[in-house]
Amino acid sequence: MATADVTTDGPLEPTFGPQSTRAAVIVGGNRIPFARTGGAYVKSSNQDMLTAALEGLVARFGLQDERIGEVAAGAVLKHSRDFNLTREAVLGSALSPETPAYDLQQACATGLETVLGLSNKIKLGQIDSGIAGGVDSASDAPIAVSEGLREILLDLNRAKTTVQKLKIIGRIRPKDLAPDAPNTGEPRTGLSMGEHQALTTAQWKISRDAQDELAFNSHRNLAAAYERGFFDDLITPYRGLTRDSNLRADTTLEKLSTLKPVFGKNLGSEATMTAGNSTPLTDGASTVLLATEEWADARGLPKLATVLDGEAAAVDFVHGKDGLLMAPVFAVPRLLARHGLTFEDIDFFEIHEAFAGTVLSTLTAWEDEEFGRTRLGLDGALGKVDRAKLNVNGSSLAAGHPFAATGGRIVASLAKMLHEKGTVNGRPARGLISVCAAGGQGVVAILEAA
Amino acid sequence: MIHPQPVVLGELPSLSKLYVNAATAAARRRVLGASSGKKRLPAVSHEVRGVRADVENLTAYQHLVGETASDTLPAGYVHALAFPVSISVMNREDFPLPLLGMIHLRNRIEQLVPIQFSEELDIRSWAENLAGHRAGTQMDVVAEVRSGSSGDLLWRGVSTYLAKGVFLPGIDKPGSSNGASGASDFVPPNPTALWQLNLDTGRSYAAVSGDFNPIHLSVLSAKALGLRGSIAHGMYLASRALADVGAVKSDSFSWDVTFEAPVFLPARVALDITTVQAEAGTWERSDYVAWNPRSGRRHFAGSVVALA
Repeated sequence: MATADVTTDGPLEPTFGPQSTRAAVIVGGNRIPFARTGGAYVKSSNQDMLTAALEGLVARFGLQDERIGEVAAGAVLKHSRDFNLTREAVLGSALSPETPAYDLQQACATGLETVLGLSNKIKLGQIDSGIAGGVDSASDAPIAVSEGLREILLDLNRAKTTVQKLKIIGRIRPKDLAPDAPNTGEPRTGLSMGEHQALTTAQWKISRDAQDELAFNSHRNLAAAYERGFFDDLITPYRGLTRDSNLRADTTLEKLSTLKPVFGKNLGSEATMTAGNSTPLTDGASTVLLATEEWADARGLPKLATVLDGEAAAVDFVHGKDGLLMAPVFAVPRLLARHGLTFEDIDFFEIHEAFAGTVLSTLTAWEDEEFGRTRLGLDGALGKVDRAKLNVNGSSLAAGHPFAATGGRIVASLAKMLHEKGTVNGRPARGLISVCAAGGQGVVAILEAA
Repeated sequence: MIHPQPVVLGELPSLSKLYVNAATAAARRRVLGASSGKKRLPAVSHEVRGVRADVENLTAYQHLVGETASDTLPAGYVHALAFPVSISVMNREDFPLPLLGMIHLRNRIEQLVPIQFSEELDIRSWAENLAGHRAGTQMDVVAEVRSGSSGDLLWRGVSTYLAKGVFLPGIDKPGSSNGASGASDFVPPNPTALWQLNLDTGRSYAAVSGDFNPIHLSVLSAKALGLRGSIAHGMYLASRALADVGAVKSDSFSWDVTFEAPVFLPARVALDITTVQAEAGTWERSDYVAWNPRSGRRHFAGSVVALA
């Protein structure tokens, strides 16, 4: 048997460095409107919705029979039968059946991570085109049999004699028959995501008014974007929906202020998180078409933006060192430093609104001198995000948040915004994306106008 | 052709009521020992206007036959939508053949334009081409589906049914050349798919299509109509084959199927799909054939062909 040979005769220098990579451009995107759980997509599966978003992308960019380099997508709430969800969606689409695909899962960062992974493959020359995406259904969520019943059924499957089988069946107790539905609770803490954020919101002393205002802006900005037709080439209707069903164009700060708190009610401090300033459970899917410049040019397709770089981070949230959804706070300064950038160099900030409190805690941490010094290793605060540049076309509080679909929604919208903006002070317009995720994780990225 | 005089119905007729009606008529005929006495097809068509798909029912249909739940109506779903109108024609007092026990021989559908689930549709159906068959009398039931707004023809279906053992005076039996003699020469190819159909396959399709013909529902109800067990709906099988052909097919296509040996449930069905591409690599047609993997008997065969 061969053993690994650690000695080498040749030089260890890499054959090519980062300089030799190609640009990964965002050609465009397509998503279906996001629907509140139990709404228009109540009976649609993840595969149905991902296929619908993919088919819209195929139609928009004329990709019928096209063999795409690779398609990557995923879902957070996933049935075990959907192990090849993305490949099945490809086979159900008009793309060439010779298009390979893989599933990816990184909680709510799934969608953004598919964009980064495929961009890297494009930059490295492994593929010339890719479709990134994500989908989630809270309506059609998997429900598993209880752990007790699962073990019994597996034992039953292994049993050989009738006596063995009867013995095993006799082990079933009424409690085993209760199904096991998914929830948004953290396995290690037992706290729901909302309860975790309530701790963080209280720690950073984020007021109820500030959270309601952020939610109000999200609805107002998203409604305005729809009104001026911003989403006309980003969304295809599905099941009768033409707009995100969570959007309340007519909501007011007064209305938001009347809602009762739903998270953090058992904290010592005042509970501030309501159904209005937290994202609801949502169903939906999104896709993004990525390519080399040559591939897009050869087909006469647009080049909206390039994927400059991305960064993942994780925090030690289990015993409360940091808040569950605070990982992007650490990822962003690392990513900026790698490119010698500051907040001044960013024209759009897309900070995923899991909860209004998440966005505000993140901004507050970046503005905090001591946090910047002690936790981020900077000379002082990272900086202040200009609110006029924050989620200017609305975000998850208004659009909703089908977990894995959010990354694709943000990337496609931001790419279009950057393309419209063009250049700023002679440099390409730049946007920062920040997505927090369960498990104390976060993925962030920078896009530049192409 | 000149369409027969339309009778506009207020709403889609209820299939369950039509089947009860048909059963009563059949019982009456058995007791009185008389046939309907008619030997011509009624010169009328039935029409229902402003029909719209129910989205929940559509999704259930799509999932059952293996289609992705898209906003476009599968061609077989349109057949199910038009079916009550067709059955109401076949259930008329002046219809010469008994509805119950009718055998679906062939089906040909032209999907001219994709139909979105939200479209209002006008559905018209009539019967034509009454003809002799070596085993009885056959006729075609035509259904046309038009856009409620533009009046454009979107979908057209022709279903050929056989009333077995019913011979109408004045209608000749054809020569033996018209028989399905090719079945015995069938050599099964290697399958491209193998379906496992449960006993409840007929009930599941009845629930989404509304076709509660007793021959599909249970062993007992099928036996009451002289079969040795319940059989799968022909259109369920053909619709699964169409779903198997997949998204490769063009927007407008024709889809035909000829039914041979019925599929008694539960069953394993072997399927072969052969796709033909034009030189440019675009899809031209897919031919399918399904058979019993144990006996090698052919269940059905057909094709999906791009329309120019």
